[in-house]
Amino acid sequence: MAKKSTEGTLRVYLYIPNIIGYMRVLMNCIAFARCFSDKKLFAALYFISFICDGLDGWFARKFNQVSTFGAVLDMVTDRVSTACLLVILSQLYRPGLVFLSLLALDIASHWLQMYSTFLAGKANHKDVKDSSSWLFKAYYGNRLFMGYCCVASEVLYIGLFLLAENRSESVIDVIVNTVKKTPLLSFPVVLAMFGWAIKQTVNVIQMKTAADVCVLYDINRKERP
Amino acid sequence: MAIKSTKGTLRVYLYIPNIIGYMRILMNCVAFARCFSDKKLFAALYFISFLCDGLDGWFARKFNQVSTFGAVLDMVTDRVSTACLLVILSQFYSPGLIFLSLLALDIASHWLQMYSTFLAGKANHKDVKDSSNWLFKAYYGNRLFMGYCCVASEVFVNTVKKTPLLSFPAVLVIIGWAIKQTVNVIQMKTAADVCVLYDINRNQRP
Repeated sequence: MAKKSTEGTLRVYLYIPNIIGYMRVLMNCIAFARCFSDKKLFAALYFISFICDGLDGWFARKFNQVSTFGAVLDMVTDRVSTACLLVILSQLYRPGLVFLSLLALDIASHWLQMYSTFLAGKANHKDVKDSSSWLFKAYYGNRLFMGYCCVASEVLYIGLFLLAENRSESVIDVIVNTVKKTPLLSFPVVLAMFGWAIKQTVNVIQMKTAADVCVLYDINRKERP
Repeated sequence: MAIKSTKGTLRVYLYIPNIIGYMRILMNCVAFARCFSDKKLFAALYFISFLCDGLDGWFARKFNQVSTFGAVLDMVTDRVSTACLLVILSQFYSPGLIFLSLLALDIASHWLQMYSTFLAGKANHKDVKDSSNWLFKAYYGNRLFMGYCCVASEVFVNTVKKTPLLSFPAVLVIIGWAIKQTVNVIQMKTAADVCVLYDINRNQRP
């Protein structure tokens, strides 16, 4: 039985989408190790890893290799890579507290959302149906819109990383100067900031909703005979 | 029913241990906002927040105000303050790839542990509060070490040079920290196995 278990677990660890997942982790490690000495390499690897993020889900369904471990691996990789990027940005820009706060928001909102998803017995934190906020419903109800907001946030962060020339620049100054120098960039910049702003707003709402689920979990448990 | 729900949730949000939890968050915000300009204030607030961390659990049991939300609030506050601490450390030692790695390890190991706890808990009907308690207790030493690092970062080596007596407790703390990180890595593998076995067991059930 033990041997069967080991063979069984090894099989899942070697699923194609999970191997793609390991490659994503490796790419992120290399990217961050070289982020200050080779910015282009960093951006390229981060972008490829981002592509693989969608790719492994497609492969999982195509090869019938969907797994809980794969989903968790995906989520953890996303959380860690976003966190590391925000750490780097906090070193490059003043006030660094802005990116510290964004990191805190990212961790807190996703953590709370995960907890509440489990307590509510939902399959996936993206399968939110009974939330009252219209923005919440619009965000999670429309995968394309949600995808745009997620992509916009990552694009904004990567963009800010590539634009940083000295340490201790002001974020606002860099964005304004970039748009002044290259007016063509103003539309994508606004688009990215808009999507990013919506994502952060949803993160905040998510925390309140998730907290409510935690509270109601106890209340419902006590009311049961 | 809707009004009852709101009253019910508000009552829990105002539990004494949860109010202590909000104060912890506030203290951490102030601490990190002033961490570069006032290191003593940072250290004091961080330490007080650390004390409250144990205090709110005691109050919860004393006033019979234990709640899932309170446990989650505790966990999230710990995760965020640890992350912020590592960010600050990475700035002191810029680019601080070691602290980036520690942040990655902290997030990954706790995330996987949370997932596996829930997946395993579903089979055994384990209580959420209990599982987050052992996780919480497990990293006392880790945060103490990091808090110490943050406060004493620039003068750490000089202090040990000047006061050789400090080298023993410092080494002790470092050993404890190293063990904790090793356990984190091991626990990631264990947690990953739980995720895989969860699917296997589900598929095997009739």
